[in-house]
Amino acid sequence: MISLKDHMWLDSRIMENRMKQPARGIVGLLFSFVIFYVLWYVFMDPRGILKWYTPQYGYMYVRWILIVAIWQAYVFNFWPFKLKFRETAHPLLTGAALVVTNFAIVGLVIWGFFYGFLGKFSIPYLSVESLEGLGFTNFYAKEYSSLAILMFAAIASWLSPIVPVCFENHPWQSMKQPAKGITIFCVTMLLTVLAFFVFMHPHYHVLFWPFQEYAAAYPWWFDFAHTLHGNFNVGWIMCGTVAIWMLELTFERYPFRMIKNKITRGVVGFFGVLAFALLLFFTLNFVQELAWGPAIDGAKRILAPDWRYLHSGELAIMMLIPAMVLNFYFDNGPKKYSAPVNIALRLIIIIVTTIIFHFVYYKFSPGMLGTQAAYSHPQQFPMAPGILFICTMLFHNWFMDFWPGKKLIGNKDVMLDDNGDEITK
Amino acid sequence: MGLSRRDFLKGLAVGGTTGYLTMAGVSSTVMKDVFLPAEAVGDFDIGECKSVTCKVISETSWFSNKVLVGDMQKAGGLLVNQYIIPWTNEGVKEGFNGDNRGGYSTLVDVELLDGTHKKILLDCGWNTKWMDECFAREGIDDMLKKKEIDMLYISHEHFDHYWGVESVLKHYPDIPVLIPKGFYKEGLDLLKGASFPTAKLKNDYPHTGKLEVRESGKVHPLFPGAASISFDSAIICRVTGEQGLVFNVKDKGLVAVTGCCHMGIISFLQEIKRRVKGGDKIFGVQGGLHISPFEDWDPQYDDLILALPEYGVEIIGCNHCTGYLTAEKMLKAGLPVVKGTARFKSKKPLFLGNGDVLKFC
Repeated sequence: MISLKDHMWLDSRIMENRMKQPARGIVGLLFSFVIFYVLWYVFMDPRGILKWYTPQYGYMYVRWILIVAIWQAYVFNFWPFKLKFRETAHPLLTGAALVVTNFAIVGLVIWGFFYGFLGKFSIPYLSVESLEGLGFTNFYAKEYSSLAILMFAAIASWLSPIVPVCFENHPWQSMKQPAKGITIFCVTMLLTVLAFFVFMHPHYHVLFWPFQEYAAAYPWWFDFAHTLHGNFNVGWIMCGTVAIWMLELTFERYPFRMIKNKITRGVVGFFGVLAFALLLFFTLNFVQELAWGPAIDGAKRILAPDWRYLHSGELAIMMLIPAMVLNFYFDNGPKKYSAPVNIALRLIIIIVTTIIFHFVYYKFSPGMLGTQAAYSHPQQFPMAPGILFICTMLFHNWFMDFWPGKKLIGNKDVMLDDNGDEITK
Repeated sequence: MGLSRRDFLKGLAVGGTTGYLTMAGVSSTVMKDVFLPAEAVGDFDIGECKSVTCKVISETSWFSNKVLVGDMQKAGGLLVNQYIIPWTNEGVKEGFNGDNRGGYSTLVDVELLDGTHKKILLDCGWNTKWMDECFAREGIDDMLKKKEIDMLYISHEHFDHYWGVESVLKHYPDIPVLIPKGFYKEGLDLLKGASFPTAKLKNDYPHTGKLEVRESGKVHPLFPGAASISFDSAIICRVTGEQGLVFNVKDKGLVAVTGCCHMGIISFLQEIKRRVKGGDKIFGVQGGLHISPFEDWDPQYDDLILALPEYGVEIIGCNHCTGYLTAEKMLKAGLPVVKGTARFKSKKPLFLGNGDVLKFC
């Protein structure tokens, strides 16, 4: 037996509304947006302070911030922070402590693990310094290594939530932290590393000249994807990340939650997410063909097959943002109908707001964020601001309990049996 | 809430079938044929000319990639307005008298069917001292003084293609100038005689002639056998819009001549095919193809090299932002890249360099 609080602290939270809707939703959204905008200006904006949006260099940090936040909340259940601290300290204090921890881990992983260790002693494309040593300019050394490093995080942010969302941490649900977190981390990272070498490493076969034929396989997707670029895989993996999060937020784990056996639920959930991701990916590709005509082999920008795949991932992220806003700030409405009807109505709201968001983003992002005008330019990379905004919304939810719109007043006193089912209330 | 095995399997079958059919449907040829328009074939007749000769005045826009990219990085990255970047103009070992700034300019000499000639100065470089030397070397300064050049055709607003305008205007201030739509105020002010000290840029010879701004998405005829096509491309350093030239050489086919081709050479060829009569026969290509300008790489560029043979181009006279790495790969792939002589600070003979000439006839 284990308490829900120990098993998944986020699910056990009882929160009191301190404002009425729509004020609560609007204030919460504005709060997240202000944090996002400050972070963007300080770290990313080409007119700001650190100017990390190159775009891949800045995007690398954003992707790692996201996966580290997922680890903090979902995998490690906020360990090593004590529950008492989470429950009693002011949300701004807990938020600051957890965000600083997040940034410190990201710095350690990128600067220490990738640049200082893996890039130095295993694969040069994982380190700026190693690539510069091989003759690349600092700018491209950063871009090439950043894409590789961020892809570890991108794959992990698709695979890691599967354990808590689909499997509800089975078969490790009864373990204590940090053993549980370390176990789930090791398993998901093993799969992540395998996925990286299959889906991304071949990209580096052709990135360097002469081709790295002894070190990496030729991009195996070329014949059917019509591109050698790893963006083919980036696109559908992004759709996978969005699919798992939409299963959690919009679908509220329906219909997989109806499967009783947690392992079966997890396996079916995993393949269900994969199918949803591929459906999303192909549909968004087709939408682009309708808008801009078919992609042309070898073309650049808006007609390039690889950009189309990437943009499917970008469009999926643009879909996730309204899904998240609806869930976090507007009570995931509508809720009064049956689950399939509620989900269908939510999807309609999400699709309509995605279309509006797409228009607004491309109209105003060059002025507001300092990104390149136009859809398909390499310097216009909506995933960087998009995922940073998602990160700030997650910080607001997971680390700050939606302050000031809501207040944490306690936790559900629920015990779970060995299968993770509730046995007492 | 529980679910019986039967109901679950039923749901799985319905959901799976619907999902599969949707996926198959949205990505199938049948659906594409229903929803996507058929490929257009161009019918715009631009006439014919006898030959097109391209003389490379300067294709070395800068002399050190590292210094140029470093300048942009220090100023805040590739998105910073080019007019506020303090470009390096001294201390560069491989530069022109220590200056990293060079420029791109090509003289396009078109022989019409009646034997007369039309001359287009495609772009005017960057560093006026370098451009003065190049213009003198190729006799362009005399041609400008004698008004033998019919127009200054600016492919786009980038520093290395446009900022040497003073070197042209001091000889021929009323030369007709053709630019694509999208020039910023600074660019138009430069033509009128403005200076930008941070960017080490000035023009002491205001333009007094006709200025034509070309809309994108149209074919603009220039003279028999010649036309211009504009694109609303977004380009680094806050530049928008680019135009390229297309010629119809009698009995040979169409020739595409570009400055930088940020829109992509395949997009340019597709646009020619879609709009210009005879667009399915591209005889030659000349100019910067904007593939690996900083000797950087992206697998997307390999896609291009693999796709280009399908267009049946017989002569590829690339240089400048095409990049030596691209030229090397193209040659290895068997593409008809014309080699150069690597003179006047062009570094390698892999493509046409400064002072080299290519005639399409």
